[in-house]
Amino acid sequence: MECDYLKQKKILLVDDEEQLRDMVASILAQEGYVRIRTAGTVKEALEAAREWEPEFAILDVMLPDGDGFGLLEKLKERKDIPVLFLTARGEDEDKFRGFGLGADDYVVKPFLPKELLFRIAAVLRRSYKEETPRVRLAACEIDFARAEVLRGEERLPLTAKEFELLSVLYRNEGRIVTIDGLCEAAWGDNPYGYENSLMAHIRRIREKIEENPSKPASLLTVKGLGYKLVLRR
Amino acid sequence: MKKTLRLIKRFILLVIVIMPMLFALNLALFVAFTYRERSSNSGWEAAKEIGRELAPDEGGSLQLSEAGERILAEFQAWGILVEDGTGDVIWHSEGLPDEIPLHYSAAEISWYTRGYIRDYPTTVGARGDDLVILGHPKTAYWKLMWNTFDYQSIAEMPKMLLSFLAMNSVLIFLIYMVLATRILRSVKPVVEGLEMLPMEEVHVWEKGFLAEVAAAVNRVNEKLRAQERAIRKKENARAGWISGVSHDIRTPLTMVMGYAAEMEEDEALPGEIRKKAEIIRLQSMKMKNLVGDLNLASKLEYQMQPVKPERLNLKAVLRQAAVDFMNLDLEGKYPIEFRCDEKESICILQGDKELLLRAVVNVLGNSRQHNPEGCHISITLRIENQDAMQSEPHFTPETPSAQRTPSVLPAARQAESARSTVPVRQIAHILIEDDGVGVTDEKLETIRNTPHYMMGSGSGVQLRHGLGLLIVRQITAAHSGQVRIDHSPTGGFLVEILLPVNEAVNLQ
Repeated sequence: MECDYLKQKKILLVDDEEQLRDMVASILAQEGYVRIRTAGTVKEALEAAREWEPEFAILDVMLPDGDGFGLLEKLKERKDIPVLFLTARGEDEDKFRGFGLGADDYVVKPFLPKELLFRIAAVLRRSYKEETPRVRLAACEIDFARAEVLRGEERLPLTAKEFELLSVLYRNEGRIVTIDGLCEAAWGDNPYGYENSLMAHIRRIREKIEENPSKPASLLTVKGLGYKLVLRR
Repeated sequence: MKKTLRLIKRFILLVIVIMPMLFALNLALFVAFTYRERSSNSGWEAAKEIGRELAPDEGGSLQLSEAGERILAEFQAWGILVEDGTGDVIWHSEGLPDEIPLHYSAAEISWYTRGYIRDYPTTVGARGDDLVILGHPKTAYWKLMWNTFDYQSIAEMPKMLLSFLAMNSVLIFLIYMVLATRILRSVKPVVEGLEMLPMEEVHVWEKGFLAEVAAAVNRVNEKLRAQERAIRKKENARAGWISGVSHDIRTPLTMVMGYAAEMEEDEALPGEIRKKAEIIRLQSMKMKNLVGDLNLASKLEYQMQPVKPERLNLKAVLRQAAVDFMNLDLEGKYPIEFRCDEKESICILQGDKELLLRAVVNVLGNSRQHNPEGCHISITLRIENQDAMQSEPHFTPETPSAQRTPSVLPAARQAESARSTVPVRQIAHILIEDDGVGVTDEKLETIRNTPHYMMGSGSGVQLRHGLGLLIVRQITAAHSGQVRIDHSPTGGFLVEILLPVNEAVNLQ
C-alpha cells in the first residue's frame, strides 16, 4: 500500500482499561502499524512520551489520575503531535467541537475497528502529508508534494483549487465527500454554496486525471450528494 | 416622578369630591348648633323679664309674678334685685344659696354683671335704676370674661381662616403623599413578586404595611421552588442515571463490537463462526444505537441537551446525513437518492446542525434496521409556503410530551416575528421514504398515537417502538417543526419533517 510510511509512525495508546488497550493495539497491529506503545495512566503516558517520542497519540478522556484533555496539553507542550481522542461520553463531543483543545479528531465508544482505523489513517495522512508519496489512480498518479498529475511522461500542473479539492477527496479516499464539504474546502465556510463552480472544477480535474472524463473511473459522482475518489490498489 | 404626579392628581380629585361633602356637613352642624345657641342666649332676656315681672304687693314689698317664677324654674336660676345707690338686695327669689351676699359695692357689681357670683354664672337686666341679677346653675354657661377683642385681629379673621385652611390643606396633602408613597412602596414589591412567582425565584422584603403579605408571598415562593427543585432533581437523576448507564456500557460494548468485527473478518475461522460473529457485531451495533438514542432522548425530554441554533444550509445538512449514512453502508445495500428543486440551491434556517443531522440519520437508520435485505431510500427537499402546512390533510400535532420540549430557539422566534411583515413564511418539507417492507396500517396507527414508553407512565405492555422516531419528534419540536409518518407510495415507510424556514435565498 502506498502509505506504508504512515504505518511506521510511533503510536502511543492511552486507556485505563487494559483489555480495551489490548484490543485496540491488536487492531492496529493487524492493520500493519508496527510501533505501538500503551499506557494506562497520565503518568505512564508522560514517561513514555519522554523516553520514546511518539508521533501520534490515541487518548481516552477518562484516566485514573487525570483526564485526557490535561494530558493532551502536556503532550503538546513537549511536541506538537496529532492526537485522537476516544470517549465514552456523548457530552465530551461538545468539548471537541471546533477542536479548540488541539485534538485532531475523536471517536465515540463503542466503535468498529474499521471506523477507528479510518480515522487514524485520516489524521496521520493529514498531519504527515509532506511525506505524501504519489497517489496512484486508475489512469494516472498524483504528486501532492508538487501538485502535479503524472500521465506517462506528461506532467499536468494542478491549480490551487483543484489541489485543495483533490486533497480533501484523497484524505477521505473511498468515501463520499459532500458537495458542501468540497465547497467549504475550496472556498471556505460560506453557506451560499458554489455548486456550479464546483462542477466546473470537477470537470477540469477529470480532464487531467481520467482516461475518459465523461466515464470517470477515479473521481466518481454520487448524484446530488457529492464525489468520491477511488485509488488504484 | 410620574408616580408622584399621579398621586397629586389623585389627591386633588379626592379633595374635589370630598370638599362639597365636608361643606354640606359643616353647614348642617353649624345650623344645628346656632339654633340651640339662640335659645341659650336668652339668659340675658330672662333677667330683663324678671325685672318686668317684679311688682310691689299691697304691703309694698316686691313679689315675683307666676310668669316670673316659671322663667326662674325654666332656667333653674336664682335671682336678686340690687337697689340703686345702696347696693342692698331688696328682693331675692326662693332658694337663694346662702353664700350669695346681700350687699354689693359698685365695684362688685361691675364684676358680677359680666361674670360670676360665687361661681354662679350671672346674667343681668335693668329694672328702672335697680339691677336684676340672675344666678344660673354653675354648669349652665361657658362665659367669656372679656368682651374686648383686638379690632385688627377680628378684621383679619377671614384672611386668617383662609390661611389656616391653606396650611391645613398642605399638611393633609403632605400626610397623604407620605402615606400613599409608603403604601405604594410596600405594595409594589409584593405585586411584582406575585407576578414573577410562576416564572422565577422571588424574594419580597418583609417590611412596611404589607409585611405579612410579603411573608406569605415568600412562603409560596419557597414552596413552589422546592417543588420545582424536587421535580428537576428527579428528572436530573433519571437523565443522569441513563447517561451513567450508557457511559458504563460503552467500553464493554467497544470490546464486544471490536472482537466480533475482528472474528468476522478472520479468514482463518470457519464460515459459520464468522457468520455468528457478524450477528454479534450487528446486534452490538444495535445496542450502541440504542444507548446513544436513549441518552439523547432522555436529555431532550428533560431539557438537558442544549440546542445550539446557528445559521445553516438545510440542504448541506441533508447531504451530510445521506453521505454519513452511505459511507457506513459498505456493501451498498441502501442507495440514497437525493432530490431537491434545482432552484433551491440552498435553504437557510436557524437550527442546531448536529441535532438536525441526527434526526435525519435516525430516520435513515430506521430504514436500515427494518430492511436488513436492503432498500432504496430517497430524500426530497421541497420548500413550500406556509399555508401548505396548515392544509396538510394527515398532519397530526406533536404529542404533548414532545411539545413539552422547550421551544428553544428564542432568537429565531424573534427573528420570525420581526419578519412578520413578509407575507409568506416558508416551510421546508424533508421527505424521507424507502421502498422496503413498510408497516401495516395498524402499526402505523400505533406509531402515530402511542407515546414512547420513556414518556408514558403506562405499565409498558403497549407496543414498544424504537427511540429513533421519538428523537426525530423531539428534535423537530425543538425547531418548531412537525413530523408526519405514513406509507410511502412504493409501500415502504415515509417520514416527513416540516421545518419553518427563516429565509430562503436562491442563488445561482
